[in-house]
Amino acid sequence: MVSVGCGKGATADADLPLGSRDNTAEVEEYYRTKVSLPVEVREALERGEISQAEIDERTVAGEFPKFFRFATPADLPADLEWEDGMDLPELGSPEATKGGTLFMAITDFPRTLRVVGPDANGSFRAYLQDETLYTYAVRHPNVTEIGPNGHRYMPAIANEWAVDREAKTVYVRINPAARWSDGRSVTTADTLFTYYMFQSPHIRAPWYNNAYHRQFTEVAVYDEHTFSVTVPEGKPDMNKRVLETRPFPRHFFLDFGDDYPERYQWEFLPTTGAYVIKEEDIKKGRSITYTRDEDWWARDLKFWRHRFNPDRIHFTVIRDKAKAFESFKKGELDTVRMREPDYWFDKLADDDPLVADGYIHKHQFYDDKPRPTYGLWINTAQSPLDSKLVRQGLQFATNWDLVIERYFRGSYVRMRTSADGYGQFTHPDLQPRPYSVAKALAKFTEAGFTERGDDGILVNDAGQRLSVTLTSGRESLKDILTILREQALPAGLEYRIEILDATASFKKAQEKKHDIVFTAFAVGPEMYPRYWETYHSVNAYDQAFLADGSVNRDRKLKPQTNNLHSLANAELDAMIERYRASEEVEEMLDLAFRIEELLHEEAVFSPGYVMPYLQAGSWRWIGWPEGFSNKIAHYYESEWMQWVDEEKREETLRAKRSGQTFPKHAKVYDQHRIR
Amino acid sequence: MAGRSQLNPLTARKLRRFREIRRGYYSFLLLVGLVGVSLVGELLVNNKAILVRYEGEWSFPTYTRVRLGEEFGLIGEARQVPVDYRALAERFEDEDGGNFVVLPFIPYNAYENDPYEDVFKPAPPSAASRHFLGTDSTGRDILARLLFGFRTAILFAVAFMALTYLIGITLGCLMGFFGGLFDLFLQRLIEIWSNIPFLYMVIIVFSVIPTSFDVRTRIGILLTIMVLFSWTSMTYYMRTATYREKERDYTAAAMVLGASTPRIIFGHIIPNVVSTIVTFVPITVSNAIIAVTALDFLGWGLPPPTPSMGELLKQGTANLTTAPWIVSSAFVTLVLILTLVNFVGEAVREAFDPKKFTVYQLELKP
Repeated sequence: MVSVGCGKGATADADLPLGSRDNTAEVEEYYRTKVSLPVEVREALERGEISQAEIDERTVAGEFPKFFRFATPADLPADLEWEDGMDLPELGSPEATKGGTLFMAITDFPRTLRVVGPDANGSFRAYLQDETLYTYAVRHPNVTEIGPNGHRYMPAIANEWAVDREAKTVYVRINPAARWSDGRSVTTADTLFTYYMFQSPHIRAPWYNNAYHRQFTEVAVYDEHTFSVTVPEGKPDMNKRVLETRPFPRHFFLDFGDDYPERYQWEFLPTTGAYVIKEEDIKKGRSITYTRDEDWWARDLKFWRHRFNPDRIHFTVIRDKAKAFESFKKGELDTVRMREPDYWFDKLADDDPLVADGYIHKHQFYDDKPRPTYGLWINTAQSPLDSKLVRQGLQFATNWDLVIERYFRGSYVRMRTSADGYGQFTHPDLQPRPYSVAKALAKFTEAGFTERGDDGILVNDAGQRLSVTLTSGRESLKDILTILREQALPAGLEYRIEILDATASFKKAQEKKHDIVFTAFAVGPEMYPRYWETYHSVNAYDQAFLADGSVNRDRKLKPQTNNLHSLANAELDAMIERYRASEEVEEMLDLAFRIEELLHEEAVFSPGYVMPYLQAGSWRWIGWPEGFSNKIAHYYESEWMQWVDEEKREETLRAKRSGQTFPKHAKVYDQHRIR
Repeated sequence: MAGRSQLNPLTARKLRRFREIRRGYYSFLLLVGLVGVSLVGELLVNNKAILVRYEGEWSFPTYTRVRLGEEFGLIGEARQVPVDYRALAERFEDEDGGNFVVLPFIPYNAYENDPYEDVFKPAPPSAASRHFLGTDSTGRDILARLLFGFRTAILFAVAFMALTYLIGITLGCLMGFFGGLFDLFLQRLIEIWSNIPFLYMVIIVFSVIPTSFDVRTRIGILLTIMVLFSWTSMTYYMRTATYREKERDYTAAAMVLGASTPRIIFGHIIPNVVSTIVTFVPITVSNAIIAVTALDFLGWGLPPPTPSMGELLKQGTANLTTAPWIVSSAFVTLVLILTLVNFVGEAVREAFDPKKFTVYQLELKP
C-alpha cells in the first residue's frame, strides 16, 4: 500500500512549513564535490587512523574518484544485455475485482510518517514504504532460483536493467510512464537526490549513512531516465543492491536540511504506489485510511494489474490483540493474522460455528524464506552479560524446547542459528544449546557465580545477583517470557520481565539500554544473511578498538544501529569484512559458516523458534488467488492480491442473521512446504 | 473531653452499635479472616512443603532459604537445583523409609506452569489436579494467583488509606485550626495539586523507573504516587470540622488552661471529628483496590509475572470464550471483596451516625 501525499497539509508542523527553503545549490555542490572513498580509506577514517582534514586535503589533490558522474546516452556501453523480467509469471488472480473497503487493524499508531530517521523504523513503516514506495524492480516472490545474474526481478519503476559483473555496475532505465502521486514524472534527478539524502547526516540514521557510503562507489546519469550504479563488490546478488533501492521525490525535499526529523515528522511523501492518503483520513492515534489512486500509472501493467484491489484500506488502531480478534469475529475487521496456536486451535477452532458454517475462512500457507530472528538478543555491554561464560550458561538455562513443545503445541520448530531459511547459506549442522540446568550451572560456576542466595538466585563474590531484565515490546510474547523465567530459576538465573509498548521497546533496544531484548528482525528474502549490520563492531561502538588492536576502554555505545548485542570481536570483524567483500559463493559459504560458529561460541543470540507457515483468517467476502500467497511473502497480505466483494459481504451478513450456512473453508496450502 | 487511656463512652456505644449491625459485622470478620489467611498464604498455597522429615531431621522450608536437592539426598541434576517438593513427596512415599513431606493444601505456587493435556493452556477447575479454580493461559494455578493478588491489593489499600489519612487529617486540621492566610494559601495549593491527573503521573513515572527495582520497590513507588495525588480530598472535611470544633467551649477551656497546640489538636479536636472520617475508610479502601486492579488491567501496574487480580481479568477477557473460568474467578473474587468492604462501610456509617449519638444539643443549651 502506499501512502501518497498531501504534503503541505494541516498535518504539517505550522512552525516548519515546507517551501520556505531551497537547497538546490547545496545539493548540486554535493553532486559536484562528493568523492568515493576506497573501502580501506573509509575504514581507516572510521577507526580514527586518519583525520577528516587529511581526507579533505587528499580530495582536493584529486586522489579519489568522484561519486556522481554526469554522462550522455552515448557513454552507455553498447554490449549491455538488457532484461525486463516480462517472461516471469503474473501475480494475483484475474478474478480479482476492484472496489470495496478493506478493514484491518494496526497495534500502534506510527510515531512519525517519515520513512527514515528517528522513530521511523516502527511497525507501520512496512505499510508506509516497503510495499508501496516502489523500488526500481521487485524480486519475483515465487520464482526464487538463482540465475547467472542472481535472483529474478519483475519491473517496477524501472522497465529494464542490465548487469555488468565485470564492471560491477548495474544499468537501469526508469519507465517513462512512472509518476509520483502528485503527477510529476520519476526521473534520474530523484535517483541522484536519494543518494544525497541517504548519505546525509540530516536523516539521523547511521545505518543508512553507512550503507549508502559503503555499498556504492559511483552513480552515473545518462539521461532523464537512464542511470547506472557501481558497487564496490561484485556480489552474486549485486543486481539486488541497485534494483531494490527506491527513489525519493526530489521536488518534495527542497526543504531537506538539518531539521529534517522535525520538519518532515508528519509529512507524507508523494509515492509511486497505488494508494494515497488524504488529509482527512489521518486520525492521529485512531486510524489511517488509504484511498486507491484511480489514475495510478502502473494499474494496467503486468505484475501489478490484479493487485491493490480495494478502493479503500482502513487501518484502525487496536492496541490489544484479543480485542482486535473479537472485532474480527464480529465482522468489523475483514482479515486477521493468527500466528499463535491458541488462536488457531482454541479461539477460532475448525469446529467453531463461524468457521464450520463457512462465514470465516481459515488459511494455513507454508512459505519458504529467511526466518525472522525470534530469540534473545543479549547486550554484551551490560554486566554480567559481558561475560561469555554467563551468556553460554544463560543459553543452557533458556528452555525454548519446552516453549515450542508445550506452548506452541509442537507446531513451530526450533531456530538453529541467527540465519535460518537461507537455503544453502544456512549452516548445515550447527545446533543451538539445548536446555540443561547442569550445563548452565557449570558455566555460571566457571563465571564466578558460585553461591545461591536465599531466594535461590546465584550470586558472585562481589555480591552481584545473576539477574537480568528481559524486555519485549509485544504483549503477546509475555507468556513465553514467563515460561522462560520459570525454567531459568532452577539454574539460579532470574529473568526480570519487562513488557513495553512496541515502539518504546524498540527505542530502548536502539539506544542499547536493554539487558536482553526478545525481538526479531523481519529479514527480507535475501540470497545470503547479513552480518555487518548486527555483528560488526562499527555498529556497536564509536571506536571499539585502538590502533594497536587492543580494546578501547573509553569507547562509547553507538545508538540507532542494529548491533543490539553491542558485540565487538576483532576476529569476527575481520571475517565479516571478508564476507562482505567476497564475490564467490563458495568463499562466502565458508565464511558464513565460520561466522555462525563464532557467534555460537560468543553466545550473544539465543535462537528461539521458527514458524514455518503463515496463518490467517478472513471473512467469506474476501477473495484470494488460487495459491493464497507467495513463496517468500512477508505476510499474507504482502503483495495485496486479495479483493473485497461488497455484495458477498451483504449476502454473508444476511445469511448469518437468518442462519443460512456456506461450505466450510479451512485450507492448507503446502505447495512451498519444505519436506 | 476524650479519655486517652480508656474508650470514650460514645465510641464504645458506636462500636457496640457496629457489632449489632449483623451484615456489616460479619463482613468485617470475614474480611479480617481472609486477610489473615492471605498473610499465611505460603502455608496453604505453595509448591514448597510445610514440613519435611528426612533422615530423622525436621525442616520447615516455607519461609526459609531455597534448598537444593542434595540436602535431601537427591542425585544427578536434581542434586544442584532447588528441590521439587511434589516430586520429593512421591519419592519418599515410594521409598517408604520413614521420610515424608507435608505439602500445602494447594501444592502449586503462583508462578509455575503446569501443563494440561501436555500443553500450556487453561485447564478447567478440577479437584483431582488440585487446581480448584483451574489454571490460566499458561497453566498457572488461578487460586494461587488470586490469593496472592488479593493480598497485595488489600495490603496496598490499607497502607494507602493509612497514609492518605495521615497527611489529609494532619493538614486539614492545621488549616482549620490556624485559619487565615495559612488556610487560604494551602487551599489554593491543594486546588492546583488536585488538578494534576494521577493516572498520567503513574504512566510517566513507571516509564522511567528501571525494571531493576524489585517488585516491592515498584509497589512502594506506585503507593507513593497514588498517595501524593489522593490526600487532598480528605483535607476539606477535616478543615470544616476543625473550624467548628475550634469554636466550642471545651477547646477554649483547654486553651485557657494553657494546653499546647499539638495537645489541643491531637488530644481534643481530632478525637471529636474523627467520626466523620471513619465513615470514609471503607470507601477509600475499596477505591484503592479498584485503582490498583485497573492499573494492572491496563498493564501499568506491577510487572509480570506478579500475580494480580487485574492481570487475571485481562487474561480472562482475552480468553472469554475458551476459558471462562479465568474471568469468572477473578470477577467473582473482586466483586466479593468489594461487596464485603462496602458492607463494612455501610455498617460503620450507620454506627457512627452523629444523629444517633450526638450530644450537640446538650452543650448548646447548658
